[in-house]
Amino acid sequence: MAYAHRAAWARSQGPVCRWRIIVGSGISLAMLQAMVFTPERFGDFTPDLYSIMALYFALFASRHGRYVPSLALGLIRDFLSMGLIGTYGVLYSLLHKASEKARGKLDPDRLPNILIMAVAGTFLVNFGYHAMLVVAGDGIGWSNAITRCGCIAIATGPFAVFLYPLIHFVLGRIGIPRAAGGYWNI
Amino acid sequence: MARNPDKLTLGWLLRHPLVATCILLALTIVLPYLRVGERLKLLTFLPLAHAADEVNATAYEELSEDERLRFDLDRERQERARLEAENARLIDTLRQNAELRGALGFESVTLPASVPAQVIFHGDASGWRHCCWINRGTDHGVEEGMPVVAGRTLVGRVFMCGSDHACVQLVTDPGFAASCLIVDPQTPALETDRRVRGVLRGDGSARPHFPRLELEDVAVGAEVREGMHVITSDYSGQFPLGLYVGVVRETIPQAGFLQVRLEAGLDLVNLEVVQVLMHKRPELEKQALALLKRK
Repeated sequence: MAYAHRAAWARSQGPVCRWRIIVGSGISLAMLQAMVFTPERFGDFTPDLYSIMALYFALFASRHGRYVPSLALGLIRDFLSMGLIGTYGVLYSLLHKASEKARGKLDPDRLPNILIMAVAGTFLVNFGYHAMLVVAGDGIGWSNAITRCGCIAIATGPFAVFLYPLIHFVLGRIGIPRAAGGYWNI
Repeated sequence: MARNPDKLTLGWLLRHPLVATCILLALTIVLPYLRVGERLKLLTFLPLAHAADEVNATAYEELSEDERLRFDLDRERQERARLEAENARLIDTLRQNAELRGALGFESVTLPASVPAQVIFHGDASGWRHCCWINRGTDHGVEEGMPVVAGRTLVGRVFMCGSDHACVQLVTDPGFAASCLIVDPQTPALETDRRVRGVLRGDGSARPHFPRLELEDVAVGAEVREGMHVITSDYSGQFPLGLYVGVVRETIPQAGFLQVRLEAGLDLVNLEVVQVLMHKRPELEKQALALLKRK
């Protein structure tokens, strides 16, 4: 009863700290990707933590207007990279749509499911990015791209297994309510 | 059927996934032509680069006398080690350069004037693009498209340019392309018509040091062996003739052309000082005249 009451209350409230989390995590993760998780250090197995964060939003953020945060997260990454503006914006928006479907089939609170979704999501985002490179005439070859996206996805998946419970813990600690279905009110 | 008036607002329209996706796709096509995005990115990155400088300055001022001396000593040691490494690299580059000049008769080839620049930032938020930022811009005469070198070795080209900063697209970036020649340092110069040509394309190589590059569109049957040198060609006018690119490591026959894999001549990760060549791509008419003169 208490849970149902809390869930109903969470639904009635607007998202909490949404833009602070989006802008803060977006800029800090973009800097982390540019300065720490670089291909020069990790080779083909460079973790893509930014996509992990976008997937987290797609899976767990409040269902009210969740599309815009995914878009904003992508645009922040676009602004801090050399590629075409809007590429990651479109990709993370599509990731949000795809994850909504996947969420119905796989429970995202189970670690194996998180691993599967993180690997698949990261692969698709990076493969989509390569597709945009191809459109711009800068592709590296489809077979090379598949190999590289696979390597990135394999390197990124395990991070999600540790990071998602950590983010759940942090959001719980700062007092953000969790609604029915496992959605956080962010 | 009655319409829901709450939904028919501009906000609802813009938030609708289909509308927003269409707007974004349209922007993706239009913005590159206007170069708005690149200028916005430049504005976003400049405070970060300035912030990095400020952190160093502030930290030094807050140190005590002993700590400052220790800091200076460490810095001098690092500088000495860096200069020694740089010296070794330059000696090696000069040796290769002398070999190339001797073999191909490039003595007459002089590089255009250059602007020395310091690399202030490496990396890109996307894992696919390869770039670095230098502390020289339009105030120093740098323009978009100018070649960036270290010694006589090609590093990349200026991609975006601010007043006192510029973004350099490295040779490993997937969007990088340059017309190149494959030359054998052991044999005398070949006639212009018999030189082996190819197109250098960055493949987003993730090899940490001395990255692998690829040369495409090399004619089938061309004599390409391991150890041959690759230099830039002035065929397209984008780069001056004779900038060193790397050494051939492997050749892979493809349908209709030869794919050549080479090892870059520079460790791009540890670059600290580069030169921007004041070389501008000649206009089409000038290029045609130069070709006619050569024939």
